[in-house]
Amino acid sequence: MTIEVAPVTRHITQPRINAYAAASGDHNPIHVDPAFAAGTPFGGTIAHGMLVLALIGEMMHAAHGDAWNTTGKIKVRFKAPTPAGSTVTASATLSKQADGVAEYAVQCATEREVVIEGRATVQVAE
Amino acid sequence: MTSTSPASIVTFPRGHEFVPASFTIDAGRIAAYLDAIGDHGAYGDAVPPLAAVALALEALQSEISLPEGSLHTGQEVEHLAALAAGEPLTMSGRVAQRSERQGYVISVLELEVASAAGIAVRARATIMAPAAAS
Repeated sequence: MTIEVAPVTRHITQPRINAYAAASGDHNPIHVDPAFAAGTPFGGTIAHGMLVLALIGEMMHAAHGDAWNTTGKIKVRFKAPTPAGSTVTASATLSKQADGVAEYAVQCATEREVVIEGRATVQVAE
Repeated sequence: MTSTSPASIVTFPRGHEFVPASFTIDAGRIAAYLDAIGDHGAYGDAVPPLAAVALALEALQSEISLPEGSLHTGQEVEHLAALAAGEPLTMSGRVAQRSERQGYVISVLELEVASAAGIAVRARATIMAPAAAS
């Protein structure tokens, strides 16, 4: 059985970043202090990498349900920062399915570039 | 948990074992996490695995600080078993790899989150931090 994975698109606003900082306990000023971040090479605040990666987790959970929570694997590189205000789309393309394991090429991209790239696997019924 | 101040990640050698931390992720924290990321999926009382990783990283903050200019450049997560809201969890972690390149220390942190039933989530985070921060 082949399972299609629907993309997830989300606007990564500063309030969302602030909420993630509160939920995760990561209050690094590069994420939550616009005045500080303006003086860094990024020129402004950027989203937590784990916040953007969570879109891949959401997308895979939506497609695979509990199997994702108990058999899923992700391996990704954070290729570029995600500036506050970006719209991010997470997507997955099935690259292989064999022996009860589906492997997807996954990525998160803003309007400008790919910010996360890697692969995800999950056990599936055959 | 220790009462010592956190030290810069660049000061930890390869093989360093962090002090195991005990924590729980209650339903309120899960709701706050899901609301923050905008995920309205049906998790029941299950802990989203990436929430477990994020909160395990939070538990490490008592030992590790990230100097200005640090970058989270890679992440691996392996889900092994479901975690339920409110169950006691233990986070253990170590520095699996450490190298230096072009003025940066590259550290790979391995984390495991376990419940009473065993290891539920394994994660590897790659962090680049300015070597000058040491």
